[in-house]
Amino acid sequence: MYDMDLCDRTDTINELLARYGVKFGIYKNNTFKEQLFPFDAIPRVIGKQEFDMLERGLRQRVDALNLFLRDIYSEKKIIRDGIVPEDFVYSSSGYLVQCEGVTPPGGIYSHISGIDLVKGRDGEWYILEDNLRVPSGASYPMIARALCRRCSPRTFQQYHLEDNRNYAELLKETMDAVNTGGLNVILTPGRYNAAYFEHSYLAEKTGAHLANGSELTVEDNKLFLVGYSGKKERVGAVYRRISDEYLDPMTFNPESVIGIPHIYDVYRAGNVALLNAPGNGVADDKGIYYFVSKMIRYYLDQEPVLYNAPTYLPFYDDDYQFVLDHFDRLVLKDVAEAGGYGVVFADKMTKAQKEDFLALLARERRRFIAQEVIDFEDLDILEENCAVSRKADLRAFVLSGKETKVWKSGLTRFSRNPDSFIVNSSQGGGFKDTWVLSQ
Amino acid sequence: MGIISVEQTDRLYWLGRYTERVYTTMRLYFTTYDTMIDRIAREYSAFCRKLDIPDIYESGDDFCRRYAFDETDENSMISNLKRAYDNAIVLREEIGSEALSYIQLAIYEIQKASGSAAPLMEFQRVLDNLMAFWGICDDQIASENVRNILKVGKRIERIDLYGRLHRSREELGREVHRLSGRIERCNLKYRKDIVEQLTELVQAEEPDCRAIVSAVEQILEVCA
Repeated sequence: MYDMDLCDRTDTINELLARYGVKFGIYKNNTFKEQLFPFDAIPRVIGKQEFDMLERGLRQRVDALNLFLRDIYSEKKIIRDGIVPEDFVYSSSGYLVQCEGVTPPGGIYSHISGIDLVKGRDGEWYILEDNLRVPSGASYPMIARALCRRCSPRTFQQYHLEDNRNYAELLKETMDAVNTGGLNVILTPGRYNAAYFEHSYLAEKTGAHLANGSELTVEDNKLFLVGYSGKKERVGAVYRRISDEYLDPMTFNPESVIGIPHIYDVYRAGNVALLNAPGNGVADDKGIYYFVSKMIRYYLDQEPVLYNAPTYLPFYDDDYQFVLDHFDRLVLKDVAEAGGYGVVFADKMTKAQKEDFLALLARERRRFIAQEVIDFEDLDILEENCAVSRKADLRAFVLSGKETKVWKSGLTRFSRNPDSFIVNSSQGGGFKDTWVLSQ
Repeated sequence: MGIISVEQTDRLYWLGRYTERVYTTMRLYFTTYDTMIDRIAREYSAFCRKLDIPDIYESGDDFCRRYAFDETDENSMISNLKRAYDNAIVLREEIGSEALSYIQLAIYEIQKASGSAAPLMEFQRVLDNLMAFWGICDDQIASENVRNILKVGKRIERIDLYGRLHRSREELGREVHRLSGRIERCNLKYRKDIVEQLTELVQAEEPDCRAIVSAVEQILEVCA
């Protein structure tokens, strides 16, 4: 769907995005730089029926993942019943023994889930990755929509779209649903974090307090925000944008200077909600991804609505052999990496690189997964006023509070390099708005 | 927004100070630049003396360029504007995206000016954006306390600069009066005796500007 009125205003929209500081931080050669996130005005458009199907599949998937997390940190029935091998759970770097026996307020582990999908040329959607720790990106289409409406009101009179500017309301609703009594706080590692724009923008739009670790303190097993006059106000929910290991130096990494000492004790006592819950990394591990369809059948007794890209675990002998036999057509992913790093396409390797990689794989079979390269559809982007095709994915956001809701939009990221499948902003990609038709 | 942390208070106060510093020094720079068009080359030395900044410049042209655009010169206008931005960017949830956007626009304009043969044109837009920033702070920041802290920073900086620039008794008197009204309304810890001392100083026939500059920096017990 092309709307020339909107497309003609691409530069103006990008100028407005720059004006409002819509940037992400990046470290290059040990220097911090803020970069604009290039916006392309041709939206990804998803029809109502298609999105209804995605919505069902995403809710189902996130519900199953939440049940998995609850099970793993309590009864471990899924391991006992032989659905997920224990080796995959306990050897995952995302599994945190400190979370054993701890049930978060409201029983929810993944409150804000970012699910990465692609649409194949066959018209099917495939899940590429689950992000259940600190997924970022919702703020970009949210502000872009507001600016697009300003630049081209006629466009939005003409089409019947779901309004995606309600993300902040959904997020607030999610925080409120698990709040144990007190303020909502967004915990940021600070302005040199890649996603700082998002932290500050979501704080502004949800009315939550944006704080860093030094502004919060624990007393009597409760969490407080400290004012400049010494006044303290109780905090009931923390949407933390720092990773598990830095959250509490008393429980996790003792060298963390950006966390809050004893916050985990407060959480364990049920006196504050942490969004997302610590320990979620065990469920979005690239190795565990292989088992999500099985989880859906196991916990929900349903057939998955959305499927993974065909994936092989070299950990299993049969899959390992398959990987060796079909190596050249696969993409290999290091389960410990994120952000588009640790991804290698076998057909792009030199002979020497292949030999080295296969030797590494033989030594560390648990460390990698292999996937068929999905021939995912290209989307048009504007380059010097001409439409060119580029690879694009979709990060859908699922929010779990009183109920599980799918945000009727998403972050569509595209590669600006015609030969690349890597769409991450940190690697030079851009973004689009995602339009969901309302009728 | 109810509670404001120590860090946020500090940032608000310094955001007020740096925006005012850029605003007032840029207006003075306008005059100095204009005088130097008539080849009164050492005019910039007087500028440096007035502001009590080191005269590290080699010529009028060197001053015009470096004092405006050199980010390695800690006294330059761009350095001060960047400091304002550094404080503003971490206050989005307090001051709002709209107010923040005017600081961002001021940065873009000063960057644009660095390549211009007639930079005062762009500097006018920097000033316009700073004024718009203050206007929108008044209009859109709901928390009176947030507005007050920002304005206390602004007033203190202005008295400091006006003192250094030996501005008139009337101008100094007006600024001290505005500060004393504002500082009472915010919850910052401050020294009432210093405010009284300042009020007395600006009532003298020839105010002791050095004493004013020294006193104004001691008003607050935090954020100094």
